[in-house]
Amino acid sequence: MSLKVERVQGDRGVESFYLWNVVQGLAVTVRHAVTNLRAPRAVQTTNYPEEKKVMPPGYRGKHRLVPRPDGSPKCTACMMCATVCPARCINIEAGEHPDPTIEKFPVQFDIDLLKCVFCGYCVEACPVDAIRMDSGVYTFAEFNRSDFVAHKEQLLATLSQWAEPR
Amino acid sequence: MNETLQQIKERFQEAVAVESGRDGDVVVMADTRSARGALLEVIGKLRDLGFTVLTDLAGIDYLQYPIQQPGRFAVTYILSDLKRRQRVRLKAYVGAQDPVLPSVTHLWQAANWLERECWDQFGIRFEGHPNLKRLLNHHEFVGHPLRKDYPMRSRQPLSENDSLMDEMVVRLRQKGLLLPGIEAQLATPGVRVSDHGEEAAPGSPSFGARGGAASAAVVERITALPGVLGEPEFYRDLHTELMFLNIGPSHPATHGTLRALVALDGETIMAAVGEIGYLHRGFEKSTEVQTYNGVIPYTDRLNYVSAMMNNFAYCKTIEKLLDIETTERTKAIRVVIAELSRIVDHLVCIGANLVDLGALTNYWYLFNVREKAYDIFDRLTGARLTNSYGRIGGLARDFYPGCGDDILRVLKETEKAIADVEQLISHNRILLDRLTGISAVTAEEALSRGWTGPLLRASGVDYDVRKAFPYDGYEQYDFEIPTGTVGDTYDRFFIRFYEMAQSARIIRQALAKMPAGPIFPDVKTAALPPKDDTYNNIEGLMNHFKLIFEGVKVPPGELYDSYEAANGELGFLVVADGSGKPFRNRCRPPSLLAYAAFPEIIEGHMIADAIATLGGLNIIAGELDR
Amino acid sequence: MLERFLTLPAPIMGTIAAILVVFAVVLPAAMFMVLWERIFLGKLTQRPGPNRVGPRGLLQTAADALKLLSKEDFDPKNADHALFYWAPVFFMLPSFLVYAVVPFGKFGGSYGPALISDLRVGLFFIVAVFSIHTVAIMMAGWGSNNKYSLLGGIRGVAQAISYELPLVFSFLGVILLTGSLSTVRIVEAQSGGVWNWYIVAQPVAFLVYLVCSIAEVNRVPFDIPEAESELVSGYNTEYSGMRFAMFFLAEYASLFATSAIAVTVFLGGWTAPFPEPAVITQSPLGYFVWSAFWFAFKVFGLITLAIWIRGTLPRLRADQLMNFAWKFLVPVVLANVFATGLLGFVVKSGNGLGSWWPVALGTWLALGGWLVLGWATAPKAERRKVAY
Repeated sequence: MSLKVERVQGDRGVESFYLWNVVQGLAVTVRHAVTNLRAPRAVQTTNYPEEKKVMPPGYRGKHRLVPRPDGSPKCTACMMCATVCPARCINIEAGEHPDPTIEKFPVQFDIDLLKCVFCGYCVEACPVDAIRMDSGVYTFAEFNRSDFVAHKEQLLATLSQWAEPR
Repeated sequence: MNETLQQIKERFQEAVAVESGRDGDVVVMADTRSARGALLEVIGKLRDLGFTVLTDLAGIDYLQYPIQQPGRFAVTYILSDLKRRQRVRLKAYVGAQDPVLPSVTHLWQAANWLERECWDQFGIRFEGHPNLKRLLNHHEFVGHPLRKDYPMRSRQPLSENDSLMDEMVVRLRQKGLLLPGIEAQLATPGVRVSDHGEEAAPGSPSFGARGGAASAAVVERITALPGVLGEPEFYRDLHTELMFLNIGPSHPATHGTLRALVALDGETIMAAVGEIGYLHRGFEKSTEVQTYNGVIPYTDRLNYVSAMMNNFAYCKTIEKLLDIETTERTKAIRVVIAELSRIVDHLVCIGANLVDLGALTNYWYLFNVREKAYDIFDRLTGARLTNSYGRIGGLARDFYPGCGDDILRVLKETEKAIADVEQLISHNRILLDRLTGISAVTAEEALSRGWTGPLLRASGVDYDVRKAFPYDGYEQYDFEIPTGTVGDTYDRFFIRFYEMAQSARIIRQALAKMPAGPIFPDVKTAALPPKDDTYNNIEGLMNHFKLIFEGVKVPPGELYDSYEAANGELGFLVVADGSGKPFRNRCRPPSLLAYAAFPEIIEGHMIADAIATLGGLNIIAGELDR
Repeated sequence: MLERFLTLPAPIMGTIAAILVVFAVVLPAAMFMVLWERIFLGKLTQRPGPNRVGPRGLLQTAADALKLLSKEDFDPKNADHALFYWAPVFFMLPSFLVYAVVPFGKFGGSYGPALISDLRVGLFFIVAVFSIHTVAIMMAGWGSNNKYSLLGGIRGVAQAISYELPLVFSFLGVILLTGSLSTVRIVEAQSGGVWNWYIVAQPVAFLVYLVCSIAEVNRVPFDIPEAESELVSGYNTEYSGMRFAMFFLAEYASLFATSAIAVTVFLGGWTAPFPEPAVITQSPLGYFVWSAFWFAFKVFGLITLAIWIRGTLPRLRADQLMNFAWKFLVPVVLANVFATGLLGFVVKSGNGLGSWWPVALGTWLALGGWLVLGWATAPKAERRKVAY
């Protein structure tokens, strides 16, 4: 009933001659080599800085804050993302909004990208669809640790990789 | 309560209480002198009754637990009966004052490192343990971090590397590799390995079975003087000397940070000891301050090669604790993704192992298709490696349109790549000779060492959690469990080919009858409301707020649940206290017990064999060190 | 200076010029081979290979060499400095000395072959010089004061000594047939077409030589002295900068050298694989270009084969490697020598296949018979079939 792993012994049968499988192996590798030499596109490597991989929709890249039509963030500083964040990388300072229909707004909204684990919980937690991770940005390089903290303005300026959904 | 436990109850009246948990029967040992005295007897009795495998051993600190417990600590033994497919959870309570329990290392080799870990994390001593040293934390570390009164963010400066010579000397002596003069010095009673734990009472009899340990001075003498080390009998005329070599923690073949100190005679490993903990980041402690869903990104980083299996394993445990059942569609998706992860994990294992054996090309053939599988994960979950795809009760997202076809396409490509690799290596005498007969582990030994998964199956035991304790609807799929015959590196290596084939079978079956429907069950206490409700409906928003701020509230209780991850049985022992955060979250990593055996099974083989063995064990440091 | 040079007697002048040519050819050739290895290995393993520096990555090795030149040269504190310092030099030495007796072409007409020195003991010289490698590996391994280096050094020495034996014996068959150790005589004996090459008469010796030469230059599947996954980098673990580059380049120069020797001894050296028309053989410079092309072509082919093998096979274990040499290669090659001597003695009257056919026939028959007989009599192994 149960499947047994078959034992092929090196010192038995055709295997003991080395030669046969070496030739077989050489045939496999050269087949790949010929394909790759004839059609360089058969090599599946992405030549990174020149070719950039376009991430699929739903990819969790760098965060962005969704703006209202007037350019201010949709965020109401409800702190849900900061609470749910397993890495505790979101720091929000709430302020009273001048518009009485809107309760609060973030005076400060920082995400420490070095702490962030890109789990996407903040997006899931947001009750007003104010934070998204659809920028498609997956490379971060800075010269200082402090530069990795993305501030509100920066997050607002980040654009979606795809057309605005909804 | 079944008959066997009835017998136990009758035999040990007051000392033992038998309860029924959601994960099987629970035997509770009170914190009394007589109960502690009876512990070994109870365990021995359970063992005789068929619970022959020690699956896990973990401590729990009940300080601040809302429900009064008979003692501050409890050590939980998970004992499994593989034949009758039963498990029993044995809880032995032990008080805060000098917590001591008898060691079970003489019954199971697996207990060695598990008890060391328990001592390290909780400060519970195990009497009769041969070498009760810290395991995951640094040897200079003060305190026991998993105790509830150890502050979460307390940091300690640690400097000196552990020379491991104390363990090595003991090992050399067991192997008869020390000269008689030194033997006499080592036998001096009262000397013990330097131990920085505050409970380390001088002269405590914790080192017995291996016959005492060496004092720092003796160790120094042995490492400093030439010619002190003995030689194997047959080489005595040559006057050779053993050479100590550190393999790791940074070594090309360790693929992570593992360390083995080996004593070499030529290239043959005469004695070896291991050290882990270089990647210890306190998974279990950190998760105690996260909500239940917040733990999921942490589980990603256990076995990061197949992250989603860890997600599902954890979610499954919490679902069981909540007593909810997820939907049929979620179950099917979990099966498909888990089996694809298993294929990816095995591809990585085989590829990396072949790199270590010098056959570099196979690595790229296998990793190319792995990247394609990651492309699917990427599209499905939003990340390539640390997917965080599971959610308690369901999944983060449903399949995107065409996901099934993508998976079938990748499966086909994977099979092509595997066929290429099979042609390259599976009849190649060089490779066969490298693998055959290396580090063979018999079935009994593998069981005693607590091995699970492909390693145990390679030794010929057809234990698979998917068959023994079916979950996620595995019982409806038609698949077989491949087993090996000898349990050597050959079996451990090639069994993964068979497992991939079986996984592909399961995926095809699951995709063919993928049920439609929601991915979350209609349980308001666990599942986040749909986004539409959150945005437009005050009730939905309220529920959303509650679940985010407080987490999924799990009623008080505890259970052990397991999952067949790519490396073996991945178990979680979760203690809930009614809040939204786990009170204790113990992870039973399959790699830990695999690596615990590594130093011993490579003895007598050569360095090259040790590397091949290590590759075959597929140690993932993230899961090993947690 | 130039005047002084020009007043030297012609043979000395010729030799100096040849030495300069060899250096001018071998070093760039080694660098080109590194590049070719990376390109071809890339294609074998589904990768693009070097494509960053220069057009299509052609300047990659030049950039690597420059980088290594400019890197700091580390010297381990407790190393044996003299050994550590000189090991790369000794390692590089034989790779170049070998070219002294390898004819890489021939001038047409009445001019002679193009080589530095036609020693009468040419093959002997090659064998003697090549064993210097062993010393260098041990120097590097011991001098580094690193356990991994030491293990690599010991492995290297054990391997080099074991494989030198079958390597030398694989020459013996050819020497018996030619009756000379001179490389020029050996090549001349093979002129006239592919059927005259010694690979036809000595297929077993050629295969043994191929295996041993790969082992001599420590390449996969015999790269155990520097087995990366076991010994980090073996005997050259502690080397950096230019001294590492010397090891690295010397390894390729050695590969180039062993391939050149194989071409000389078994593949007809500078001769074309078909009878050469008199028009070409009579033109002094024309024939040189013609013959050098064929020589380079064959060497390139053998090197590509070595790269191809590297891209296919796993690595042996140290003891299996020894078993393979002593229990398999040595008996086989000794049998070959014996058979060649016996058959060659029975019918021997001049050069060319006409006189060797008994040897050729005998060895091919033996090779085929061994394979067939072995296959038929060996216990059958299970064939693995995994159904997906």
